[in-house]
Amino acid sequence: MAMESPSKALVPAPSALTNLLKSQTPPSSHPAHLHHLALQIQHNLQHQHGWTALRIHTHSPVNHTPLQRPLLSGLPPHRLYTHPDEQAELLKELERRRKAARKSGISADSENVVVPEPEREWVLPTKLNEKWSLGRMAEVFDGVEIAPPSGENNVRDVSEEESGKQGNENKWKQTKRIVLATVDEDSTVVYYIVHDGVVKPRQN
Amino acid sequence: MADISVQEPFPISLIANRYLLFDVNIVTYARREHNICGVLIGTIPHLSQQNIFLGIPLELMPEEARLLVEKGHAYIVEDVESHKSGFLEMSREERLAFLQVMDKQGRETALSNKKKAEERSEKALQRKGLAGKAQESSPRVSETAELNTRAYTDADAETSLFDLPSGTASPIFSQNSIALEPYFITPTTSYPPLPIPPTTPTLSLPDVPRTYPLFAHLHSRGYFMTPGLRFGCHYTVYPGDPLRFHSHFLATGADWDEEFNLLDIVGGGRLGTGVKKAYLIGGADTSSKDSRSGGYSDVGDGVRAFSIEWAGL
Repeated sequence: MAMESPSKALVPAPSALTNLLKSQTPPSSHPAHLHHLALQIQHNLQHQHGWTALRIHTHSPVNHTPLQRPLLSGLPPHRLYTHPDEQAELLKELERRRKAARKSGISADSENVVVPEPEREWVLPTKLNEKWSLGRMAEVFDGVEIAPPSGENNVRDVSEEESGKQGNENKWKQTKRIVLATVDEDSTVVYYIVHDGVVKPRQN
Repeated sequence: MADISVQEPFPISLIANRYLLFDVNIVTYARREHNICGVLIGTIPHLSQQNIFLGIPLELMPEEARLLVEKGHAYIVEDVESHKSGFLEMSREERLAFLQVMDKQGRETALSNKKKAEERSEKALQRKGLAGKAQESSPRVSETAELNTRAYTDADAETSLFDLPSGTASPIFSQNSIALEPYFITPTTSYPPLPIPPTTPTLSLPDVPRTYPLFAHLHSRGYFMTPGLRFGCHYTVYPGDPLRFHSHFLATGADWDEEFNLLDIVGGGRLGTGVKKAYLIGGADTSSKDSRSGGYSDVGDGVRAFSIEWAGL
C-alpha cells in the first residue's frame, strides 16, 4: 500500500546480467533469446565458477553452418572431468613419485596429488522447461569437434598459452563431451557432463 | 565348476505372456555364455511369502527372450499348447515306460526311507543296550524288502494309476505288499516325460518395448542388463556378471525424436552420480540421413547413446 507511491524512486538498479544482455546486440544467425541464454550461462561461468577464455560459437567449427543454438567454450579453473582410467594412471604416477622421493631421502609431503591440466570444454546452454530429444542432442554433438578451438582473433595470452599446452592432446579424451548447462527460471544453473557414447562413470 | 553342456537352440517357455526358463543348466548357460541374467522368480512352496531366496523358474525380460531368439540361441515354446498336445497324444508305450520309472523311484524312496528308519532304531536300541535284539531283527526286514523289490518289478504294470488289462498280477506281490508300500511320486518336471518340444518357426518374435535397440546395443558390447526399476530407469547396466560387478549405468531408452524433459536428464544424472554410476540415454537413429558421420556407434546398429554425469560445478 504505502510501497506503491514512491515506487519510481525505489526501482532497483538493473542487475549486472541485465546490463550485459542490454549491451549486446544478438547476431543475426540466431533468435535473441538463444543468444541471451548463452550470455547468461557465460556470465554465470565467468563470475560464479571462475572460467576464463569463454567464447560464444554461432557456427559449427566442423562444417561452418549455423549451429542449432549458440554454444560456449571455455577454460575451467580446474580440470572439470578426469576419465577413470586417467585417474588410475595419475594415482600410479603419484605412487611412483612418492617411492622415488622416499629413496632419495626427501620427505615428500609436497607431492600429495597429481593435478591434471585443465581442458577447454564445450558448454551447451539450455533452459529447464525445454524439451529435448536424442536427435537434437546428436545434432549438437555432430556439430562440434572433440576439443573446442581456442580463441581466434581476440586471443588472450592465457588462452594461447593454454592451447599451446594442449597441442599434445589428452590421450584419454577419446569421445566428445559437452557440459550441459541448464538454467531454471530463478536463474539457478546446474551443470552436467554429457558424453557422446557409452563412457564408464568416474569412481568419485 | 561343473561342465554344463546345453544344446542350442534351447527352448524358452512362453506361459501367460512370460518368458520362462525351467532348466537350471540352461539358466546357468545363458548367464555364462550369453550374458543373460533374467530374474529368478521361483519361491519355496512352504515359505511362499519370502523373496530373498528364489530359484527356478527364471523369468526373462521380453528383450532378453527376443535377443536370444534373434541370435538363434533359443526358441519360444507355447508351453500350454505343447503340454496339452504332448500329454494327449502320448503313446501308450511312452506312458507305461514313464509310469514304470515313477514306480521304480517310488520303491527306491520307500526302501531308502525304510533303511534309514531301521538304522535310527538300531542306534536307539544300542544306546539302551539292546543291540542284540536289533541285530536279530534287521536281517529279516531287509530280506523282506529285497523280496519286495523283486516282487514289484514283476508287477509294475499293476501298480500304475491307469487302468490296464488285469491278469498280470503275481502271487508274490499280493503276499508281500503289506510289508513295503511304495511311495507315489509326483512328477515335478514335464520334460521328461515329454520330449523337448520342437522348434515352432511360426511363432512370431517376442514383442519388445521400444527400448530394445538400446538393450541390444549394450548387450552387443558385452554388458549385462537387469531391470532398472530400482533406479528409476529401464536397465541397470553391468560391465560384467552382476554378482561380481557394480553397475556402471542407469540406462533409459527413447525413440530418436521422442521428446523428454531436461529435468529427467538432471534427475537421472544426479541420481546416477550419487550412486557412482552414469545415467545413460540412448536409442536407434531412425532419421533417414546417414548420421553416423560424427556418431559414436561402432557396432553398426545405428544406436547412439549419451552418458551423463554431474559436472560438480
